[in-house]
Amino acid sequence: MVNEAADMTPADVVIEAQGITKSFGHVQALRGASLQVRAGEILALIGDNGAGKSTLTKILCGALVPDSGELVFMGQRTRLQSIGHAHELGVETVYQDLAQAPDLTVAENMFLGREPLRTGLGRLFGTLARGRMQRETAEALGRLGISLPSLRVPIRQLSGGQRQAVAVARAAMWASRAILMDEPTAALGTKQTRIVYRTMRSAAARGLAVVVISHDIPRMLKLAHRLAIMRHGVVIATLAAADTNLTEVISLMLGTQADPAGEDYLDD
Amino acid sequence: MTDQQALLPDSEPDVAADPRHSLRAPGALRHLAGATSFWMTLVILGLIALFSLISPDHAFFQLSNFQDMALDVSETMVLALGMTFILGAGELDLSIGANLLLASVLAGQTIVNLAGSPAQVVAGVYPHEGPAIAAGVAVGIISGMVFGAVNGLLVTTLRISSFIVTLGTMGIGLGISYVVSNGVNVAYVPRDLQLNFGVNRLLDLIPLLTIVALAVAAVLWYLLSATRFGLRTLAIGSSREAAVRAGIPARRHAFTLFVLMGALAGVDGVLDLARFGTTNVGGHQTDALGAIAATVIGGTSLFGGVASIGGAMIGSLLPTVLGTGLVILGVATFYQLIVVGVILIIAVYVDQRRRNSLN
Repeated sequence: MVNEAADMTPADVVIEAQGITKSFGHVQALRGASLQVRAGEILALIGDNGAGKSTLTKILCGALVPDSGELVFMGQRTRLQSIGHAHELGVETVYQDLAQAPDLTVAENMFLGREPLRTGLGRLFGTLARGRMQRETAEALGRLGISLPSLRVPIRQLSGGQRQAVAVARAAMWASRAILMDEPTAALGTKQTRIVYRTMRSAAARGLAVVVISHDIPRMLKLAHRLAIMRHGVVIATLAAADTNLTEVISLMLGTQADPAGEDYLDD
Repeated sequence: MTDQQALLPDSEPDVAADPRHSLRAPGALRHLAGATSFWMTLVILGLIALFSLISPDHAFFQLSNFQDMALDVSETMVLALGMTFILGAGELDLSIGANLLLASVLAGQTIVNLAGSPAQVVAGVYPHEGPAIAAGVAVGIISGMVFGAVNGLLVTTLRISSFIVTLGTMGIGLGISYVVSNGVNVAYVPRDLQLNFGVNRLLDLIPLLTIVALAVAAVLWYLLSATRFGLRTLAIGSSREAAVRAGIPARRHAFTLFVLMGALAGVDGVLDLARFGTTNVGGHQTDALGAIAATVIGGTSLFGGVASIGGAMIGSLLPTVLGTGLVILGVATFYQLIVVGVILIIAVYVDQRRRNSLN
């Protein structure tokens, strides 16, 4: 079992989870999961269905509160209360199921929950600074090379890929520390998947920590810096992508060496 | 990670950013929503023309008739404006008629009890008329807000659907109104309230009630289209989950919307009291139907996320124009309810079809 977390300098660790447990009724989703997320790296969270990847991500983004265990953000032990609390800490999340308001425009979605107001009398009335929203949205999308037919159309009119591109751009615009992604490319075509991966890379290059849940292990071996492998609610290994290979990852993930099931998985 | 570069080519001409391109004009859905009120305007103008042509002596096309209709439309409009926010947020309020009635009963009783002694009031003498009316207006609006707050609390804390909550509070509100009024309309409301305000007109042309309704519309139009409050209302209606994930306090916001709706029902109760010089204990059972129909045919979606103040204003014309036209043609006014009900169902069907086709 490879675990190279020990030789890290603590300053690089943006988020640290220690011994996280979480149960839903009788189902123990997490049984003491520990994870370190570092600035400027893409960390792939790998595991079979039910291994606890989504639950762990939801705890890191404030959507769920752990039953026990510690969360440390930028060296500070933190009891994460809500998604809004995570936002304040600079942690943004991209959800699998396109968490956007489909009737609102691209710019409105980009700023949802953090709408800029006009100055002076406008602030008193809560008047939106729509010009600024449009401008900054165009800039943010432009930086990531995302082109949309219009920023004033409701998100509903965009393709699934375009919507996810907006979601990623939104996270990249607001995150100052980390972006968490739960299978961000699950519903996407090749071209849009490339946009999402490129965005992840540019976010990491900016010094953000990027945590991504993915089932595309071959792709993660190329894209990610490290792979954290989960099984039965625990992170059983964290591997440098450069030092491992598909067979090792899958056998760790499924808990068996040279298991026929692993061969099946490779065929998928 | 050595082959990251190869994996992710940086040049992708098909996704190259073009800011000019990105800032193009509004999209098709906005056009469609605009088109809804556009077509409704045409339908209503057509109805007005039709009724004007075929009514005896063109009785429909008279200034006095338009002024009468404006009073009706104003009352419907104030409720429809609030309903625009409620439906826009994906909620529903069926209790607005009961709320309005209770507000008008409480406002009326406050005015009558404070304006003078029982003997004076019966004799039409009101020594404290001004303060009494001011207190009555305040009581009416506060009653509406409290009613709305009860709706909001039940919806947000018990998490019962607003359809059921407001169906229940509709019954409760009507019941309380009947208990408080003993089922009898409040009598001896000062005539000045009606003559100086309720049926009075600016420059002898535009009813004051209509000016109140238009002022409310202007404020709410700004609130919906230009402010954070309006945007968050539509965000919650469009996807509650997305709004919550974006850190929007959706429950608190929904509560505020029900209080706003309640305040408008209270205002409308006061307007109703002023217009008729008394309450109308038996006459508000179909207010919610009228307001919801007006809102939905104006392009606001029953499913939330899309709302139009202009559409609600235009939609408010329909029940009154239809009802008045039928009366002038000698058709029983009961048909108006049937037609409004049918139009509501058609409007929701069209909205539903449009939603499905866009998903």
